[in-house]
Amino acid sequence: MRLLHNYHYIVAMLLFCIGLYTVIVRRNIIKKLIGLNIMETSVFLFYISLGYLEGGIAPIRVGGADPSRMVNPIPQALILTGIVVAVSVTALALALVILLYRQYGTLDVDRLFRDEEVEEETAEEKEGTA
Amino acid sequence: MKRVVSLLFIAALLALLLYVVANMPPMGDPENPTNSSEVIKRYLNEAEEETHCENVITGIILNYRGYDTMGEVTVIFCALAAVLAVLGREKRGKIYAYADRSRVPSSAIVRTMVAFLVPFIILFSIYTILHGEISPGGGFQGGAIVGGSMIIFTTIFGLYESSQRIPQKLRAPLEGSAVITFFIVGILGMAGGGNFLTYAWPNIATNLQPSVVTWLTILVEIGIGLGGAMVLISILFSMIREEEEIAVAP
Repeated sequence: MRLLHNYHYIVAMLLFCIGLYTVIVRRNIIKKLIGLNIMETSVFLFYISLGYLEGGIAPIRVGGADPSRMVNPIPQALILTGIVVAVSVTALALALVILLYRQYGTLDVDRLFRDEEVEEETAEEKEGTA
Repeated sequence: MKRVVSLLFIAALLALLLYVVANMPPMGDPENPTNSSEVIKRYLNEAEEETHCENVITGIILNYRGYDTMGEVTVIFCALAAVLAVLGREKRGKIYAYADRSRVPSSAIVRTMVAFLVPFIILFSIYTILHGEISPGGGFQGGAIVGGSMIIFTTIFGLYESSQRIPQKLRAPLEGSAVITFFIVGILGMAGGGNFLTYAWPNIATNLQPSVVTWLTILVEIGIGLGGAMVLISILFSMIREEEEIAVAP
């Protein structure tokens, strides 16, 4: 029964596993990045739910709000940092993906690796003949 | 085969995670270890007097953890620097996106609505930035709203139009404004007799201190909002621009 009450945690763990599955199985790099973002979101959800208080109010002291009823402000402040870092990581990863697409014309991981192997083999053959 | 193995691995991981979560205390209980530490009571009870922010979270991220947030704005600045190093900045004057050459023009309804809404979105972001210390919001959120409004505008009107509205001349000097504002406020704190990033200067009269702290907090929020917005817009322009050699006027 406690697990049912803690359904936020279950959803966070399910989201984490969905994201990890996407990162492992999908061959499209953009989909892998979406999976990474789902994993990040699951961690944010888990962390924010840890600071929840039953019937709590936002930690803003306007109009004499009662501090003892406020939710935990520390996870929210930490996750604000986490979101900004996640955005930075996503931006940099997307820039690298754009460069990969311009170079190879594909977003498929398997084909990217195959192309690299073919190029290396031809380079080695050229060295052998020279 | 690969798919089955990864499914089994992830099922095992999920079972492990659910087992751990099942043993955690009930969510929302004030007696939880996460909710009953002394640090939280201190923040909730004293933050208003110590940081002069009615929003406790703004007080935490700008005042108690100022160093942390300074590192954070450095992270987004570094992300922008890396994106520009990988993709390059657009050349002045003649930039076009792939989408600009799209053969299907956006409908008059969409264009009118976007042109009507974008000023209000930017007005709302200014409100979010300036009221960050007394209501939900702050620099990062306001900057993200400005970035989002420019994404809508660029999607509908094309990169050329939006780069005329926010030219590179204006953006480039403002991209680092978050980091610079933090450094200036930090140095001002040292000049005022405290440590780096001290908002309440010890050298001035006690009755002046609350207003100084409030204005410095608002200054840092404006710096973060401006810097974050410009960083997001520069990343957007750098990602959707077309290579100059193959650029054709729409």
